[in-house]
Amino acid sequence: MLFRASLGAIGTAAVLLSSTALVQAADVSFLTHWAPDTVAKLEAAAATYTAAHPDTKITVRAVPFGDLLTTLRTSGGGAGGATIAGIYDAWLPDLAKDQLVAPVPEAIAADVRANWPAGVIGAASIGGTLYGIPNEIDVYALNYNKKLFEEAGITEAPKTWDEFLAAAEKLTDKSKGQQGFGLINSWAAGVLHPFSSLLVSNGGDLVVDGKPTLDSEAAKQTFELYEKLIKSGYSDPAMATADANTTGPFLDSFVSGKTGMIIMANWWESALKAGMGDDFANVATAPIPVGPSGDTARSISYSWMTVVNAKASAEEQAAAWDFLNWLNGPESGPDGASAMGDILMSMGILPSRTSDGAAFAERLASDPFLKGYTDTLANAKPFPVVLGGQEFSESLQKTLEAIQFGQVSAADAAATAQADATEILERNAK
Amino acid sequence: MMLAPATGLLGVFIVIPMLLTIWLSFQNWSTQTGFETATFVGVQNFIDIFANNSVGRDFKAALVNTAIYTVLSVLIILPLSVMLGLLVHQKIAPGGVFLRTVLFSTYMVPMIAVALVFSKLYSPTEGPLNQILGWVGIPPQTWLSAPQTALVSIVILNVWQQVGYFTVLAVAGLTQIPESLYEAAKIDGANPVQRFFSITLPMLSNTLLFSAVICIINAVQVFEPVALITQGGPVNATNVLTFHIRRVGIERAQGGLGSAMAVTLMLALVVAIALLFAFARSREMKNS
Repeated sequence: MLFRASLGAIGTAAVLLSSTALVQAADVSFLTHWAPDTVAKLEAAAATYTAAHPDTKITVRAVPFGDLLTTLRTSGGGAGGATIAGIYDAWLPDLAKDQLVAPVPEAIAADVRANWPAGVIGAASIGGTLYGIPNEIDVYALNYNKKLFEEAGITEAPKTWDEFLAAAEKLTDKSKGQQGFGLINSWAAGVLHPFSSLLVSNGGDLVVDGKPTLDSEAAKQTFELYEKLIKSGYSDPAMATADANTTGPFLDSFVSGKTGMIIMANWWESALKAGMGDDFANVATAPIPVGPSGDTARSISYSWMTVVNAKASAEEQAAAWDFLNWLNGPESGPDGASAMGDILMSMGILPSRTSDGAAFAERLASDPFLKGYTDTLANAKPFPVVLGGQEFSESLQKTLEAIQFGQVSAADAAATAQADATEILERNAK
Repeated sequence: MMLAPATGLLGVFIVIPMLLTIWLSFQNWSTQTGFETATFVGVQNFIDIFANNSVGRDFKAALVNTAIYTVLSVLIILPLSVMLGLLVHQKIAPGGVFLRTVLFSTYMVPMIAVALVFSKLYSPTEGPLNQILGWVGIPPQTWLSAPQTALVSIVILNVWQQVGYFTVLAVAGLTQIPESLYEAAKIDGANPVQRFFSITLPMLSNTLLFSAVICIINAVQVFEPVALITQGGPVNATNVLTFHIRRVGIERAQGGLGSAMAVTLMLALVVAIALLFAFARSREMKNS
């Protein structure tokens, strides 16, 4: 009797254990660089999903942006690493080359192709294979302090580089510790993207057909613009330190009204609001001023996507894609928007899914800060996505910082940047 | 037989990784792939890290930055630790134990907290340090915001955090000096300065040698303040070797190049420590 009872208990335990195993059949972890309040929104969305999919368990892990690529490279790419990761498109070629990211399953890839703009899909693809579900797009614009403009007698945002330099001169007041235009240093993307935006607004490009064009006339003029800003004192490099966590003197100076103009991305909105409070009303957005070789105001754009770890088990990969498909789909968020789009909009980030653009159209149109960015989307040029992109970025960052601190002339900077970029891209392409 | 477990552990956790790093320094290898994908390239990685391109320039700059950081740290910390050690050890005025506690407490503060505080202290426009300097008529300094001052600012942070630890070592050395030597010197008419240079400093030589070795190793391995505050900038001014190796070997996955840099760093450290011991031995022989 005791034997039969024991057998029954063991059998019940076995059934319970096996059902538990089934309930948590797929453990999916999501690696991101978002702040805690945004992580909480993602966790809430994951909870909604798992309520309907009890066989999947989703956990979210956040690291600072500066550590995201390193985390992916160390633990993220292994079998025990994160199943899903949000990545910057410039990292994709290297991650795909090392087979750390899995191709998107064909059914989901077809849905992505039907619902995202071609340019964004291109940035998430290598050799025609789609590796991630795009979610956000970022562009750059000129942010300026209306109060400082008024005090300096400037009536409207500069449209050309000449007007931009004239405004920078009027806004510079060393007795108040005030600079006209805020350059950035100590953060690769932060240094590169404003420079690249001015370059494309001057009719130039960073890379054409896989080859750098940093010695073009347009690029030389952009290096010269930086040199002028520094030599004339319109930009103070001591006020330029920044990092991807939006801390440091660069942010402090603009927030405290010591910087008249900056060039920054739309996702900066939440940091500005947090830092400025009511004074955020003084911030206005305008297109990037057009250079002497440019024809229209342009900006660079870059995108983020969610990828799945190629080393995760087949079950985990399947569960991860299913969750991402739902998270980025039109039924997971409010009023036809995706849950991902809703999360991104809470940070002032533009979702890249076409239907999200429509779902949030009213909100985007009514936000003057973001409207300045959405207006520039049509003329934006994607930041080059090439093998060795991170090394290329860090190398150009160093050259631009050398100009900021008067270590090289504009002409030497163009020559050095071109030589270094050529060597880096050729070596990484092998 | 009795030593086998310890020797085995040493082999697994120290010798094998070192040999592996040396082997990888002669390979072209992505850290994201298995060792079987490594291809032998001879000394090409070592040629590349000293070449006149961006790879070579960055490595050489990191090597020089690390050397400057190490030399400055040792030259400031050791004399300061002896000076503070004398203050703590003296029995004329009270408060020695309190001072030792305060000094050592800086060593126990986590680097993340130190980094957060110092990054604000050093802020060029709103930082308290520049405000204090302003009260005494000194113009604002650039601290971490300019390549000319950034590395020195990181050295100051290192000195602030480490000096307490080395002061405790100095105090331990001072307690080993027999009081009778000072009594005899006093009877012979030696003044405090003569007593310091004739008794204290020579008797502290072993402690100082140990402190110097530890200080050099700590300084060469500097990573946290750079990773947390400056990310190697501006213009690579604070890009030290450990941070650069992490960037190359992990962030860019260039395992062969990163290993060649690590081997060069290891060799540089071995040479520096060997020179230090040779210098100490020659002094010892000269004195004897």
